[in-house]
Amino acid sequence: MGFRGIGFLLHCYLVLAAAMYFDLGEQEEKCIIEEIPEDTLVTGYFLLEPWDLAVTSHSPHFGVTVTIRDPNHEVLMTKRFGKFGKFTFSGHDSGQHYLCFQTNSTRFSVFSGERLKLHLDVQMGEHSIDPSHKIAKDDMETLQNSLMHLIDQMMYIARQQEYQREKEEVFRQIGEDANGKVLWWAVVQTSILLFVGFWQMKRLKDFFIAKKLV
Amino acid sequence: MELLSRKQGSRGRLFVLAVVCGLCLGSVRCFGPSQDSEFTFMLPAGRSECFFQTTIKNGSMEVEFQVIAGAGMDVDFTIISPGGVQLIADARRSDGVHLVEPTEQGDYQICFDNSFSRFSEKMVFFEIIIEGQAGDVAGEDDLADVEDSDGNLLEYKLDDIRESMDSLHRRLERSWQMQMVLRAFEARDRNLLEDNLWKVSFWSCASMLVMLCVAFTQVYTVRKLFDDKRRVCT
Repeated sequence: MGFRGIGFLLHCYLVLAAAMYFDLGEQEEKCIIEEIPEDTLVTGYFLLEPWDLAVTSHSPHFGVTVTIRDPNHEVLMTKRFGKFGKFTFSGHDSGQHYLCFQTNSTRFSVFSGERLKLHLDVQMGEHSIDPSHKIAKDDMETLQNSLMHLIDQMMYIARQQEYQREKEEVFRQIGEDANGKVLWWAVVQTSILLFVGFWQMKRLKDFFIAKKLV
Repeated sequence: MELLSRKQGSRGRLFVLAVVCGLCLGSVRCFGPSQDSEFTFMLPAGRSECFFQTTIKNGSMEVEFQVIAGAGMDVDFTIISPGGVQLIADARRSDGVHLVEPTEQGDYQICFDNSFSRFSEKMVFFEIIIEGQAGDVAGEDDLADVEDSDGNLLEYKLDDIRESMDSLHRRLERSWQMQMVLRAFEARDRNLLEDNLWKVSFWSCASMLVMLCVAFTQVYTVRKLFDDKRRVCT
């Protein structure tokens, strides 16, 4: 188990280290926005490292708090992890989900906030390729896994297309609303102008007649 | 005699199958975790955010970004090589595509700067597409060694399967990238339209109120003028 565990860590590290990373200060929260259609399983792998790998100072216990918000800004999931981990969630609404990462450390003295690197890899679909997948005990099984991954990719693309089509409809509806509103306001303003014009003339005429000036 | 030779033949074939399968999977495994990343994030006003991407030597990296929401819809974009040289600097662009080839070994720094804007925060979408040296398929050389043994139909079939899977994967990756770009365009247009809708409603209301105020003020002022004169007359 120990050896396997180390193998898993190493593999995770090697693969995620090639992924994109960004800097995160201590106690700082950064958010990523992902547009996700409903009922899609999203898997995220992350790895937290100190900025200067040469300076492994004090080795405090760093951790990441992952908070996921749905399009209505309600918290879907909030969980604390160690230096690296994997999180999954499945949204009920389609729209923009916010994945927020915040570091926390068990150190009590916070001096000149240390910069940390957060490697991140976010995948959609049930059969995501796990960076820690074991080198196959059964070759056919790995082939099968890869095929399932391909099938998932295709289904994901198809679902995204459906979702795009729905959004396109919403967009067109908003466009037509805007057009309708512009027309309506223009009509209302013109009629108010005309009405006010006539009203003013009438009032002033009555006024002048009353004052015996005309 | 015949039976023995057949058995040996089949064992040999099984061995070849296992080797080929192993190689198949070796190369299939390396369309593993994709190194293409795309992110949408909120860039607050007056700040700058940097992202880092590790690359290998002699690969290629394509970066595409778009500003999806925010007044002004533009941002400063820079790419800094691992050696600290600023390769690309775009000032106040709303979208752009850049290809860095060949890449050096190390971490490229991709920065978005919103410091010129004091109040408006921007939502930025960007995508990084990494390609290895000669496509992503390792193990192609190894397969060539296996081919010159036995010329078996099974090997060719497996080879075909492997190639179709690779090409399928590449095409799916490409479709996925295109979809991403189209999605970003659509999001940008939608945000723009929603802004416009709000502006139309707001300014129409304001305009109507101004008109009504002016109407009443005009009538009141004219009457006021004549009231004074009246008093003066008598």
